[in-house]
Formats: sequence, structure tokens, C-alpha cells
Amino acid sequence: MASAIDDDPRIIEFDVRTDEMLVNMGPQHPSTHGVLRLVLRTDGEVVSEIEPHIGYLHRCAEKIGENLTARQWIPYTDRMDYLAAMNMNLGWALTVEKLMKYEVSEKARHLRVLIAELSRIASHLVGMGAYGLDLGTFSPFLYAFREREKILDLFEEACGARLTYSYITVGGLTADLPPGWLGRCEAFLDQFEPIIKEYHALLTTNAIFVKRTANIGVLSRELAIEYGCSGPVLRGSGVDQDMRRDGEAIYTAMYDGYAFEVAVMKNGHYPRDHEYPPVPADAVLGDCWHRFFVRMLEVVQSMDLVRQAIDRYSACKGTIGEPLKLTEKIPAGDAYLETEAPKGQMGFYVVSDGTAIPWRVRARSSSFSNLAVAPELCRGCLIADVPAIVGSLDIVMGEIDR
Amino acid sequence: MSGILATFGAVTLPLAALNWHSFFFVLFAAVACACAIAVVLADNVVRMALYLVLSLGATAGLFFLAGAEFVGAMQLMIYVGGTLVLLVFGVMLTAQAPFVSIKTTTGDRVLAGVVGAALLAVLLQSAFSVPAWRQPAAGTVAAPAATPVGMALLGVRVDEPAAGSPQGAVRSGYLLPFEIVSVHLLVVLVGAAYLARAKKRKTPRAIEVAASVEPPASVAEHAAVGRGAGRATSVLSGGRS
Amino acid sequence: MAEFLINSAGLPEWLAWTITAVVAAVLILNVIAGGALVFIWAERKIAARIQDRLGPTRTGGRFGWLQSLADGIKLLAKEDLMPEGADGMLFRLAPYVSFCASFCAFIALPFAFDFVGQRLNVGVFFVVAVLGLEVFGVILAGYASASKWSLFGAMREAAQVVSYEVPLGMCVVVPVMLAGSMDLVTIAEKQAGWFTNWYLFHDPFTFVIFWVYVTCAVASVNRAPFDLAEAESELVAGFHTEYSGLRWSYFFMAEYGSMFLVSALAAVLFMGGWNGPIPVAKLLGLSAGTGDTAGYFVRLLGMANLLGKATLGVLVMMWVRWTLPRLRIDQVMTTCLKYCTPLAAAMFAGVMVWQLALPGGIVRGLSRPAGEVREGWLEGPGGKAASRPAADAAQKVAEVAR
Repeated sequence: MASAIDDDPRIIEFDVRTDEMLVNMGPQHPSTHGVLRLVLRTDGEVVSEIEPHIGYLHRCAEKIGENLTARQWIPYTDRMDYLAAMNMNLGWALTVEKLMKYEVSEKARHLRVLIAELSRIASHLVGMGAYGLDLGTFSPFLYAFREREKILDLFEEACGARLTYSYITVGGLTADLPPGWLGRCEAFLDQFEPIIKEYHALLTTNAIFVKRTANIGVLSRELAIEYGCSGPVLRGSGVDQDMRRDGEAIYTAMYDGYAFEVAVMKNGHYPRDHEYPPVPADAVLGDCWHRFFVRMLEVVQSMDLVRQAIDRYSACKGTIGEPLKLTEKIPAGDAYLETEAPKGQMGFYVVSDGTAIPWRVRARSSSFSNLAVAPELCRGCLIADVPAIVGSLDIVMGEIDR
Repeated sequence: MSGILATFGAVTLPLAALNWHSFFFVLFAAVACACAIAVVLADNVVRMALYLVLSLGATAGLFFLAGAEFVGAMQLMIYVGGTLVLLVFGVMLTAQAPFVSIKTTTGDRVLAGVVGAALLAVLLQSAFSVPAWRQPAAGTVAAPAATPVGMALLGVRVDEPAAGSPQGAVRSGYLLPFEIVSVHLLVVLVGAAYLARAKKRKTPRAIEVAASVEPPASVAEHAAVGRGAGRATSVLSGGRS
Repeated sequence: MAEFLINSAGLPEWLAWTITAVVAAVLILNVIAGGALVFIWAERKIAARIQDRLGPTRTGGRFGWLQSLADGIKLLAKEDLMPEGADGMLFRLAPYVSFCASFCAFIALPFAFDFVGQRLNVGVFFVVAVLGLEVFGVILAGYASASKWSLFGAMREAAQVVSYEVPLGMCVVVPVMLAGSMDLVTIAEKQAGWFTNWYLFHDPFTFVIFWVYVTCAVASVNRAPFDLAEAESELVAGFHTEYSGLRWSYFFMAEYGSMFLVSALAAVLFMGGWNGPIPVAKLLGLSAGTGDTAGYFVRLLGMANLLGKATLGVLVMMWVRWTLPRLRIDQVMTTCLKYCTPLAAAMFAGVMVWQLALPGGIVRGLSRPAGEVREGWLEGPGGKAASRPAADAAQKVAEVAR
């Protein structure tokens, strides 16, 4: 043992002799966002290595998809990223529509944008609040949930469910909006807008928050691309990519005519950054603070998109049309489509043999890739940084394990 | 009312006759001694620390009983605080199982017994050789005050000057002994830290460093985590095994 | 009281003293236990209000007054669990060690002029020393629990509390120096009169050091943002992870007891103790020195004053807890070693210089002769003969400090 230590070239530091300890963080742990299990190799407070163990929430959703028709599988997509179920519905619906070369009505398109962006706000609110919780402050979590509840109220009015909506479906949406909904949605946006400043005061600019997040878990641009990170994690590292702008035609067509700027730092500036608190001096691109901040920016961006969608939707005449029937046959072939879900690029793959039931169904989860980079980020950090880093990746286990 | 209570008092005469000062003195002294012995007999570092704290706490109680509140509080603060640090170091530095659970051999016991008995003999001898300590103090002791002690620690004696010394001449205080003791403690601390040092793998702190250090072979060890096996054992499992 | 029992009721001496001791102990115990009940309820209500919730509303009427009591009954009824690998004796003992330390410190805390369990002439020192013992229970609990999270919590607590005792001690020494006594009663009495007499407003240095004290006090009782020992998002529940039921509630009571204690200590040391901001009693011509009803009333008023100030301190701690994120362990140590300790030392030196330069203080009037302030130092058996060397020594110390 001693000689092995002497020969090891890595051993260059004289210090008090301590032992390493393996600690299980999770699957039952307050800050692992569900049933993630992280094995930490710690030396005192310093974590030398973490290893995520997944699979505790596996429900064979993809296999189930191969025994149901495309529309019947929509409820299973709800349960993937259950914090942004609308975006999951949209991803699957668009993939099947791509294979079927189906185009929804203009009104349904705008309604889809409206709903998807509202869902993005809800998801980012949870991500933001839960991140505060990871850092030990409880109140912003409830402030975020208070506003999210209002979005859920709107969703409940539209489709009857508060969490698993199955609202956006293959061929359109299950129902049109009830009367007066748009007014209530606008009222919510007007009421919500000033509250974002409060979030910035409580978290983004809070000195302790900045100390806990700035220069912690720095994810370099190259590493982010290598690991296939996407969404706010990728954009937080300064990579200018957003499927809503850079994705496939069938997806970007949905956002045709919408004006939005991808929330990414360019030349040291975020879009419209004069409206937000300045980037703290300690923060470097790709750290936890930037990932968090990108989410905050996207909330504002989505509010803007929702407002545009409301205008366009109300300008459309006619109805949103009927969705495809439950047993609609899918033409033989395969299709893969990635959409920009709140957590990143959510891909669905479908292979059909011409029957109503797909032959193969697969999903590509953004949280999975985002979580995969966690061991790189956590190497050499402190125990308290592990929740801070994993929290900043904003993962949802339902999506990783499917 | 008062009559009844007085009768009650008379019935439990033995209690009234008891010298409460002596009773508490014996109580604290017994606790101190018993815990001191328990420190020696215990074989677990943390339990030893607990007994040590109890023993020192009981000694502080003796000080309070004697009216030396300053020394008593000092005893609590320094010794109990010191034991805490000792405990932390004890657990941190002796994380390996053989040290957390210390088994003394018969030879150790004999050696310790001889040394201890010798020390006790010296102390007793010196204690009884002071004539003034062999008879009870005459008259009442002045109300204790912390000020003279505090001033004396700063090097100024404000208590009664020694007999025959000229007016204004100041006896030296405890500043020098105080400093000597503190320097001595510092030396001990540095020495302990030096002894505890060992070669150790450099802990990668930043990502750049981490990138150059290949991760330890982990998969097999991690797989063993659930069964409590693996190279890295915890203090706890070590202490219990 | 003992004298009263002996002289008026004719009790034997030993019985009188025993009764006195028991009554005092029960009173103090009730202050802690009753205080904990009230504060837990208050914390729930305050947290709820901060977070836009209602908090308890049903148990015991509209405001949920009885919520803490109901909680207590629940805790009593809970199964008392002990982990299999735990060190049984230490595991059972630890909560009582914590609680006893918190309880013992109350012995020397004066609530009003002579409402004090045991007036010690080293009261400040005793309180700080005994308060430091509380951490011992925490360490025992952390070690004995046979849980790695508990051990982490205990080690953090040990490092944190031992470090913070240094600046805390320095802060506490300042009022001691100003009053010339370590007796809490004397310190408070020296601040009698208008609030300008409080040591908080004695000079700029004491004002700063008060805030250093507040920081260190919050840290030494383990409240957010320094609640690392039980950081729920990192260490599950830290040192009390494995505790349940009544044992757990002892830790809780110890925590609230300590919170109240450091707040009361702040009130006595810096905010005049039982002397209100406006000397109502003095204006009315009443004095606490008399043993009649008026004197008793004055003392009750003083006690209300002290309890009010201490409660204010506790409420501020709750406010802070529900607002700020948690610091990381290295940041906590940095705060202590790099900021609090040097600041406290500098302020300590500053107060000394101020005492020499402006002995009466600005607010209290420059006309006051220096000797009067310093008189307390010289009340030794040496009398006037020793006064000159003592003053010389004080001067020398101040010169060194300069």
C-alpha cells in the first residue's frame, strides 16, 4: 500500500491523512429531483467523483408505445417530462405528423405555440424554484409555484387536467380554448411580468446565491457539445442553438412569423440585457449562474411569444380543426424529430409498418444527456456544490428513465 | 402551615443534618473520578471523549462549588471546547478502524498504572507538604471577583501586595506564564499536525486539474457500495466492526 | 426566596433552598419549553406569511395557536427509532446533552434586575462557555447515528461552532470592557436610562461589532444561512437525520432555546437588557430597588422589555432564514476567519481607543470624567493603591493596540 502510494506520480501533496468515503445521495434524497441516485466519492467535504445511477423510474414507456396507436401513446408522453407535459405531447405529435406529412390548421398552429410556450414558463418556474430549494432557500420555490399554479389553472380550463394534459395531440389539439380564456391568459401575463423582478432580487442578484453559483460547475462550450447537452444547459455555455430556430422545417414552421431572440450570450451580452440585472463579476460562461440565468431569460422570451401567439390565434378565423382519429393508420416508414422542450432537445423516433400501431417507438431525452455531464462538472467540488450543479442542469427523472 | 412544614423538616432530620456542600463536593468528585477511569477503560475514541468531557465538567462543578466561577467557566470553555477539537481530530485522523477502537494490552495497562501511581504519589506528597493546606482556612473568604484574575493575566496584580513590599511596587502577574503556556500549546499543535501529515493523492480542485488526472477505477468499487464493501470504508463502519 | 421561606414560613434551610432551586429550574425550563412552543408556532406563521401561505389555521382556533402542542403530541406518539449500527448509549444521550447545555446557559441569564436563576459574576463568560457545549450533543448525535450524512453534519457543526466562538467571544468582550464587569446584571444596569445609553449606540465601533455579534450568533446557533449542520438539500437532515419523535424534539427545543438565548444575550449586552428605550419607570419615579409592589411592577416591565427584545431577535432570525440561500461550508469559514474575526478584533481595538480618547462617549456627553467609567475595574481588595498601575496597564494595552 505504502509503496504504491510512493510510486504514484499523482501523489504530490502532503496533507493530513484522511480516508475516502463513498456516500449514496439518493434515491431518497431531498435534492436529487426525484429518484436519482448519485454515488459520491468524498474526502471530507470534497467530492472527488460522482456517478449517477438511473433507472429507478423506468416504466417501459417506449415498449408500451409499440402496443398502442400513436394517439393512444400521448398520455405516456405526459409522464416523461411531467413538468412540461405539453411540450412532450407536442414533440410526439409533430413526429407522427412528420411521418404522415400532415399539417394542422393555422389556428391550431398558433394555439400550439401559445400552449407550448406557456408550458415552458411553467417548467422554468419549477426549475428556478427548485434550484433555490437546492441552495437552501425555500421561499422563492413557493413564489414560483404560486405563479405556476395560475398557468395550471389556465391549462385546466383548456383541457381539464393540471399535470398530465394530453392536450396537444396528433393532428391538432383535443379541444379549442373556452371563451374568455385569452383574456385571463393576458391578465396573468400582465400580472406575472413585474414578479420576475422579484425573482431576480431574491435569487439572481442575491450575494449568497451568486457566491453559490458563480464559477461553480463550469461547463465549457466544447464539453457541452461533446456530451450532447441541449437546451438552457447548452445555451448557458454560450452555444447559440435553439431548435425553434435551427430545427427541422416541420418544427420551425410552427414558429414562422414569430419574433424571438435565442437566449444566449453573444459578444458578452444577452439579448435585451439592459432590462436584466448585470452578469456578476465572478460568473464565467457555462457556470451554474449562467444556466440559471438563461432559464430566467427564456421565461421572458416565452411570455413575449405567448403574447404574439394570442394575437395571431385571435386573428385566425374558423376552428382549430379535429385531431386525427384514435386508430388512424400511419404510413410505413420512419421519422425522427427533435423539438425544443424546456429542458432541451427532446427527440422522438417512430417506425411504422403501415398499421395504426407503430412498429418501433423511441425517445431521446435531453435530461439524460444533460445529466451525463454531471460527473465532469462535479469533479473536485464540495458536497454542497453537488445539489447546486445537478440542480442547475434541471433534470426530470421521468424523462430520463421513461 | 409553617408548623406542619417545620415538623416535616424535623422528621427528615438526617437530610437536614447533611452538609450539602460536602455532599455536592463528593458527588462532583465521584463523577470526575469515575469518568476519568472510564476514559481509560473505554475502547472507543468518541466514548472516551464523552467521558473526558463529563470528567472535566464535574471538575468545573467543583470549581463552581468552591466559588471560583471564573475558573469554572474557564474550565468549561477551554477544556470542553478543546475536547471537541480533540474529538474532531480523533475521528478525522484515526479514521482507520484500529484507531477508532483502541484495544489496550495488559502491558499498556501495567505501564499506565505504574506511571499513574507515580504521578499520584508525587501530587499527594507535594499537596500534603504545604502546611497551610492541611488546616481549614481561617475566617471568611472575600467574595470572589474575576477582575483580579483578569488583570493578573494582563500582567497587573491588583490583589493584595505581598507583605513588606513597598507601596506601589507591583508584583508580576500571570502574563509570562500565560504566554509560555500558549506558545507551548502552539508547539504541541504544530507537532500534532506534523505527525498527522501523510502523503496523499492531490485532490483535484479545478476542472483543468481534473482533466489531467484520470479518474480512479470506480465502477467495480461503486458496484460494491450497497454491500458496504470496497476500499473506502467509512469511519462508522470502521468503528463498529 | 429562600430567605423568605426560612424567615417567614419557618422552613428548615435545606428544604427552603431545595424548593427555591426546583422553582427556579422549573421556571427556566418553562421559558425554554414554552418559548419553543410559541416560537415554533411563530416560525410556521411567519414562514407562511413570507411565502404567501396561511400556515396553520385550524388547530386551536383561527390562528392555529395549538399547532405546536399538536405537533408535540404527535412527536410523543411517534415510534422511537434507532438505526441498527448506532452506538446506543451515545445515540440516546446526545439530545439531552444538547438540551441541557441550552438549559444551563439560561441559569445565568437575568430577565430583570434580580430575576435571575443564579447571578454569577462571570455571567457572560458562563453563558458563552455553556452555549458552546451544545455542539457536543450534536457531534455525539452525528457520530452515534451510524449514518454518513449525520457524520458530515456533525463535522460541519464542530468546525463551524469552534471557529465562530472566536469572533463571538471578541464581540462579547466589548460590552464587558465598557461595563467593567462580566456580570450580566451589572452590564445591563450600566445601560439604564434612555436608549442612547445602550452600548449599541455607545460609539461607532460598538455599533459595528453588534452586527458582527448578530452574524456570529446566528452562525453559532446554526440558523440559516449558516444551518450547514442540518442542510436539508445537501445532508438530508444532517446530524438529526436518524432521530425521530421525542429525541428529535429535544434537538429542536435546544435550537430554539439557543436562539432565544443569544437574542437575549444581545439584548443584555448591547440593547440595555431590561431597560426600555424610554425609561418609563424612572420618569414615573419608580425604582426596581424597592421590594414593594411598585418595584415588582418595574421588574415585570423590565422583563417584558427583555423578552420583547429577545423575541425581536428571534423573529429577525426567522426572517433571515426564510429569505436567504445557504452558504457553503468554505464560505462559512471564510466569513468567520476572513471577515468576522478581523473585523471583531479591529472593532475591539477601536472601542479601546475610543474609551481612552472619549471616555464618556459622544452621545452620553463629553463632560463625564474618565474615572467614573473605569471605576468598575478597580474594585479589588487593593483599592485605590492599585488604581494607578491598573490605569497604566490599560493605557499600555491601548498603545499596543494602536
